[in-house]
Amino acid sequence: MHLAVSLNIAVATGQTGLTFAEIAGFVRKIEAAGVDMVIISDSWPSGEPSTSPFEATTLIAALATVTENIGLVASASTLAHQPYNLARRFASLDIISHGRVGWNATLRQNPLEAANFSRPAGIPNNDFRRRAEEFIGIVQGLWGGWDADALLFDQAGGRFHDPRKMHFLDHKGEFFSVRGPLNIARSPQDTPLLAMSGLARTDLDFAASVADVIAIEEPPSEGARATCDDLKKRALAAGRTLDALKVLTTVFAPDLTAARLEVWLGAESSDGLIFALPADRSAIDGFTDRILPELRRRDRARPAHGATLRSRLALGAGGAK
Amino acid sequence: MSARQMKLGLFLWATGHHIAAWRHPDAHVKAGIDIDHYVQLVRTAEAAKFDMVFCEDAAGLREADVNIASQTSRSIGFEPISLLSALAAQTERIGLVSTASTSYNEPYGLARMFASLDNLSGGRAGWNLVTSASPIEAANFGATGLRPHADRYARAREFATVITGLWNRRAAGHDGESFSVRDPLDIPPSPQGAPVMVQAGASDDGKDLAARTADVVFSAAQTFEEAKAFYDDLKGRLAAYGRQPDDVKIMPGVAPIVAATKAEAQAKYDALQELIPDDVGVALLSSYLSISDLGRYPIDGPLPELPESEGMRSRQALVIEQARRDGLSIRELARYFAGARGHWRIVGTAGEIADELQARFEGGAADGFNVMPSWFPGELDAFATLVVPELQRRGLFRKDYEGRTLREHLGLKRPV
Repeated sequence: MHLAVSLNIAVATGQTGLTFAEIAGFVRKIEAAGVDMVIISDSWPSGEPSTSPFEATTLIAALATVTENIGLVASASTLAHQPYNLARRFASLDIISHGRVGWNATLRQNPLEAANFSRPAGIPNNDFRRRAEEFIGIVQGLWGGWDADALLFDQAGGRFHDPRKMHFLDHKGEFFSVRGPLNIARSPQDTPLLAMSGLARTDLDFAASVADVIAIEEPPSEGARATCDDLKKRALAAGRTLDALKVLTTVFAPDLTAARLEVWLGAESSDGLIFALPADRSAIDGFTDRILPELRRRDRARPAHGATLRSRLALGAGGAK
Repeated sequence: MSARQMKLGLFLWATGHHIAAWRHPDAHVKAGIDIDHYVQLVRTAEAAKFDMVFCEDAAGLREADVNIASQTSRSIGFEPISLLSALAAQTERIGLVSTASTSYNEPYGLARMFASLDNLSGGRAGWNLVTSASPIEAANFGATGLRPHADRYARAREFATVITGLWNRRAAGHDGESFSVRDPLDIPPSPQGAPVMVQAGASDDGKDLAARTADVVFSAAQTFEEAKAFYDDLKGRLAAYGRQPDDVKIMPGVAPIVAATKAEAQAKYDALQELIPDDVGVALLSSYLSISDLGRYPIDGPLPELPESEGMRSRQALVIEQARRDGLSIRELARYFAGARGHWRIVGTAGEIADELQARFEGGAADGFNVMPSWFPGELDAFATLVVPELQRRGLFRKDYEGRTLREHLGLKRPV
């Protein structure tokens, strides 16, 4: 079973003094406890203003230098970025972290965002979703722009890279046109991880065909198992192998009792759990000192192995087709 | 110790500023995929008490010709905002300045990135505003052609107004020609109040925008006279915006090659120049002149007459003036230019380099310098161990940091 922690730094119990050292301490503690990845969000889905001093992608860059092996996944909005810039940011983060980074793309629109990103009239949800799908396709395409053996480093011969192993994307779509390639080398884990959340029923086929990890927002149950099975079927139908997609269910740590944990584990509804925690000391301590030992006692959370996030999650090479 | 001391920036560039740096036998050829390389460089600069490190940027390849590109190390590297965020966690005092484009970002989004970098570093962030002239970048953002120079600057002016308004908590709500923003920034200010504003555009539009909004200006000047003229021109524009001459620090680029003797320094420079392939040198020159076909003129002949382009006007004028002044052939100019990309090159001993820097600093042509080592880490180490102690001995540069934030290092006021 895979384990993740979702840390929403926007929800830091109202205090404004959250420091990098404190967050680094939380993430190191979660890492030492053997968790596969931490997912960092810097905004409320409801659109209430954040009080966090940090934005998620810049924060995980700094966290990458003070952690060794935990996966670092940042939420970033498709409205707040251009696809070329976002693909570059995560490609760069993946090299900084030696292959431990992922992008959490949500298909749910933050109601605050359009008004601050020069779209005062907003953007209809249907357009938002079509645009997000095109955006994600461009980002994944750009991540594949350099072959793994493109860099030659041939100083004497004067050949830095092999131009035949660098590929233009030449994307022209409804919302974007992007020539590529990125000016960042290929990821140490092939491509950064793509996690998706906030899915509606109409998003499932798309998500199952491109995502490496899908977070479903229902507690482990028969219903969650059905959703998970459904997503796996859709992934197979899209020509992917079963090891290409992991489905995780989100649980909220404050709801947790030993009895409920038993029920969740018994449901065997997914590939793992995401524990949603507020960024404060008592919540982190409660998770690492109380909940995780319970899971380990049931032998459900063996520490994972692998240098990259993909290998920790036992994802097949490349993930998305 | 003199009352006024020079500011020093370290201009980072993967393997080094010289186009053939990556071919130097002691250069770190994998610099563009090695974060530890950058940690080491920035710690060297911090130990030498540099004010800041600076990352230039382009959202795309540098060369239109893929074969030329493959003979340089410039097609891959780190994205600078993520790079500097990582470096923030590995350093304590040095300023961290990143380039970002006003043409391919939104002010609210970029305000969040730099505010976050500023908080991660405890008030050491700066933003170098560029308007992006390259058609290669434009093709990554759905644009079919470059916007005319004046349009790019109109957008940049509005961008600067909005982003400084967000950082400085001025009344929210902006509805303008290029941007609209409803809410205040959702990230609190750092200990320096707001990131430092940096600019490098040297065209008329660029200088006006810098006079209005910049705290630091990077420039390129070969001769003392050019540097002095730029310095006086820019400082002279400040009064119109209610600013004092000292509110803006002007820091020309300098590409030093230093060794124990002048002959040794010259030999180091000559060896690097020999590593430049002709087609790469000519392509680099073509790109800075914003013309695509310089390769069809005889390489041992003079530079042809050139039309004024919509790209980098000021840089173009500088290069052309250089060629005419020195009667250089295309090959000679290309090689000379490739070495420092139009910036000021000094080859000599620590004493000779300190003399030159001192003359420009005390002669009213510079408030400091943006140091561009030819290759990393060797030429940075040489500057830090030979030139910096000489500047300190003369009282021209600090022996330790006086403050914690980049604004404090630079002696800048907090924004209001």
